[in-house]
Amino acid sequence: MSPDCWTTSTLPGGLLLAQRQRSAPGLVAARLWIAGGSSLDPSGQRGAHQLLAGLMTRGCGQLDAEALADLVESRGAALRAEANEDSLVISLKCASDDAAALLPLLVQMAGAATLAPEQIAIERQLNLQTLQRQREDPFQLCHEALRTLLYGTGPYGHDPLGVADELQPLERTQLAPLQARLGQDGAVLVLAGSLAADCGDALEAAQAHQPWRAAAPGSPLLAQHGGGNGRLVLLEQDTEQVVLMLGVSTTALGDPDNLPLRLLQVHLGLGMSSRLFVEMREARGLAYDVGVHMPARRGPTPFIWHLSTSAERAGEATTALLDEWQRLLLQPLSDAEWELAQAKYLGQEAFGRQTCGQLADRQALLLGFGLPSDFVERCLARTVDLDAAALQAVAQRWLLQPRLSLCGPAEGLAAAERAWNRHRLGAGPQD
Amino acid sequence: MGLVLASSLSERLLPGLGTVHSWTLPSQAQVVALPLSDAPLVCLDLWCRAGSVFEQADESGMAHFLEHMVFKGSERQQAGAFDLRIEALGGSSNAATGFDDVHYHVLVPPAAAGEACELLLDLVLAPRLNQQDLEMERQVVLEELAQSQDQPDEMALQTLLQLGCGTHPYGHPILGERDQLEAHDAADMRRFQQRLYRAEHCVLALSGPLPSAMLQALLDRLAESPLGRLPTAGHLSTGPGLQLMPGEHRQPFARLEAARLLMAWSLPGAEQREAVAALDLATSLLAEGRRSRLVERLREQLQLVESIDLDLQVLECGSLALLEAVCEPDDLPQVRREIDAVLLGLIDTPPPAAEFERSRRLICNGYRFGLEAAAGIAAVIGNGALWQRPLALHEPLEIMLQLQPEVVQPSFALLAPQRACVLEALPS
Repeated sequence: MSPDCWTTSTLPGGLLLAQRQRSAPGLVAARLWIAGGSSLDPSGQRGAHQLLAGLMTRGCGQLDAEALADLVESRGAALRAEANEDSLVISLKCASDDAAALLPLLVQMAGAATLAPEQIAIERQLNLQTLQRQREDPFQLCHEALRTLLYGTGPYGHDPLGVADELQPLERTQLAPLQARLGQDGAVLVLAGSLAADCGDALEAAQAHQPWRAAAPGSPLLAQHGGGNGRLVLLEQDTEQVVLMLGVSTTALGDPDNLPLRLLQVHLGLGMSSRLFVEMREARGLAYDVGVHMPARRGPTPFIWHLSTSAERAGEATTALLDEWQRLLLQPLSDAEWELAQAKYLGQEAFGRQTCGQLADRQALLLGFGLPSDFVERCLARTVDLDAAALQAVAQRWLLQPRLSLCGPAEGLAAAERAWNRHRLGAGPQD
Repeated sequence: MGLVLASSLSERLLPGLGTVHSWTLPSQAQVVALPLSDAPLVCLDLWCRAGSVFEQADESGMAHFLEHMVFKGSERQQAGAFDLRIEALGGSSNAATGFDDVHYHVLVPPAAAGEACELLLDLVLAPRLNQQDLEMERQVVLEELAQSQDQPDEMALQTLLQLGCGTHPYGHPILGERDQLEAHDAADMRRFQQRLYRAEHCVLALSGPLPSAMLQALLDRLAESPLGRLPTAGHLSTGPGLQLMPGEHRQPFARLEAARLLMAWSLPGAEQREAVAALDLATSLLAEGRRSRLVERLREQLQLVESIDLDLQVLECGSLALLEAVCEPDDLPQVRREIDAVLLGLIDTPPPAAEFERSRRLICNGYRFGLEAAAGIAAVIGNGALWQRPLALHEPLEIMLQLQPEVVQPSFALLAPQRACVLEALPS
C-alpha cells in the first residue's frame, strides 16, 4: 500500500481530515478519533469516558436522542461511539449518497453532545448491567485480574466500561468538563470509501459555521507506570475449565522495541502454524483456544498469553506455558521460525486493508498516535534489519517476570499454583 | 437485451461489482467466481452439504469433529503442513461447521492462489483420518466443548433449541454430546466423510483479484483436481423439515449473572426467498436499531432490559427467529408482557410506511456492507450455489426493494407469541 493514497487537510477549528478513495459497493466508512479514552478517566470516576462516548449518540445540537437515531437509522447507517484505553472513537458506516448529510453529525456529537440527564441515566444503567453480565465469562474475569496485576490503579488498570461503584454516581457535573476537554489532546477524522466531493464541502461548511476546536493529533507517549502487587492471582469459579493468562506490560506502538515484540507475537500466536498453537493444541491437545493478545497502544502495551484447559490438566498446562516462555528468553528463534514469522508479518499487512472500515481504523490510529503516515511501510522495511538475536534481546528486556492469572475450579487452581511454585519463572528456586 | 437490463440493474444496486461466473466440473461439482480487482487477497472457499443435520443417530458431533480432523493432513500433506505452507505464503485458513453445511476457506495473496487451491482441495477431499491423530484431536474438541459449557448464555441458548426442536437435528449441539464424541473412531469418521463429501454436495467459490488468465488457469487444473474427480452421490442431500414445539420453560443456569428471556420461532426455510426477505424486514423493524419497536419500548422507554436482540437464522430445514432479552430476574414477567404486546400490536396494526422504509434501508445497506471483502463475497456466492439459489448478487436487493407491505404483514403472524418456544433462564 502506498501511503500517499491518503489526502489530508485541516478543517476550520483545527480538525485534521484524512480521506482515501476506494472502490467499494457505494459505501463510506468514517472514524472520528479523539485522543484520551479510559486512560484519562479521572481518579474515582473510572468508566466516565465510556459513558461519555455512549452519550454522543444520544443527542447533539438541535437533535434529541430520538431525532438523532431517526436520522441515522432512516438512512440505514450504522453509528457507534466507544472509548478504548487511548481514545474515544465515533464510527459511521453509510451509503455514499448519505455521507454528506451524516458526516457533519460526527463532529457535532464530539463538540455539542447534549448530555441530557435522562439519557445519562439510561446509558449508565446499560453500562452497569453490561459490567455485571461480563462476570459470566471466565475469560473476562481472568483478564480483569491480570490487568490489575499488570497496571494496578494506573491509566490502563481498568476496563473502559469502568468500575460499578465509581460509575454509579456519575452525572452531568462530572461528564461536562470531560466533554469540554475533548479534542485538546488531538483528534482526526478519517474517511475511506466511494467518496463524493460534497463530503469534504459539507464538513467544511459545518465547521465554518460552528467549529469544534481540535488540536492536531500526536499525543505524547503515555509513561510507563508500576503494576499492582504480586505475580499470581487465583479466582475460584465453578467452571469445567481453568483459564490461564500469563503476561507482562511492555512498550508503546511507536517504541523501537515494539516491532520485535510484535514479531514474537506473530511467531507465538498468529495462525495455526504458530508456536503456541502447535505445542499446546496440536502436540498436546491441551486447549482449543490459545493465543497471544497484544493490542496497539500508545503506552505500555500488554503482552498476554491465554489458554483454557480442563481442570485436571491445569498443572500440566501451567508448566508447559512457563516452559515456552522460558524458551523465548533462553533460545533465539531458529532460522525457519524467524523466516516464517517475517512472512506472516508481511502477509498480515494485506489483511488489514480488506474493507474501508479496516483502512480507516488503521489510519486513525497512526495519525492519532502521531506516527508517520508511512509507519506500516517503515516497519515492514525494518524487519529486514532484525534477526533472531535481536528478538531474543528484546524478549530479555521486556519479558523477564511474567505474571499469571488463573480462573477456574479449586482443584485446577491448586494444581496450577503448585506448578507455578515449582517453576523457576514462577515462584520456584532461581539459579 | 434482457442481459443488458440485468447487468445495468446490478450496476445500479451494487456499483462496481461484476457478474458471478459459474462452471460445472466433469464430476458435477460446481465452481463459482466473482473477480474483485481492488481486493488485496484472494479467497478460496469450499462449501459442502455436510453440516450436523446430516449426522445419523450415533454420529453426534461428527460433522464438526471431521472439520477439525481435515487439518490433520492428507496422504500428500503431513499434519500441520497445510497451515504452515499457507501462512508462509502470507495467507490464513479456517473452517466453520453449521447445521446445514460446512466450509473451509483460505485467504492468500493472488500469486499464491493456484498453489493454495491445489492444497485446499487435497486437504479437504482426501483427508488421512489417522486414528492416532484422532485421539489427540478428540482432546481438543472436548476442550472446545468444555469452553462453550463454561459460557452460561451459550448453555441457555442450547437448552432453548433442544426444548423447541426436540428430536430434530437443530436441537442437538453442533459440537456434539460428550459420550458420543468419546466413542467415535477413524472408521466411523471415514464412513461419514465418504457418505457426504460427494461431488453434487460441493461448491468451490473464488473471489478477489483474479485476472481472467489466472482464473482460466485455475479452472483448467480443477478438472483433474480431487474436486473434479470426486464421486457423485446420485442424489442431493436435504435434512428433515423442522417443526418447532411452542411451549413455556423456566430453568436456572449456574454462573448466570442476569436473567435471559429466550424465544424461538419456526419459520419458512431458506428456499422460500420472498417469505424469508419479508421476515428479514419484519425482524429488523422489531429489533434492529434504537428506533426499532422492541428496543425502543423495552430498553429506551421502560428501561427493562440491558439488550434485546432478534436474530433471523436462515436455515434449509426451516428458519429460526431467536430472541434474547437480558434483564433482572424480577422483571421477567413484565418483559414478557411488553414483548407480547409489541408482537401482537403489529399483527393487528400494520406499521407505517416510514418504519418499513427504515428497515428496508438498514437491510440493503447491511447486505452491501457484507460484500466489501473477498471473503464476504465468496461466502455469499458459495453458499448460494451450494443450495441452488440464483447467482446474481443483486437479486436479494431486488427482492427486498420490491417487497410490498401486504407481503410482509403475514410475517408478524408467524412471530406471534403463542407460536414461540419460550425459555426463562435464571441465575441459580
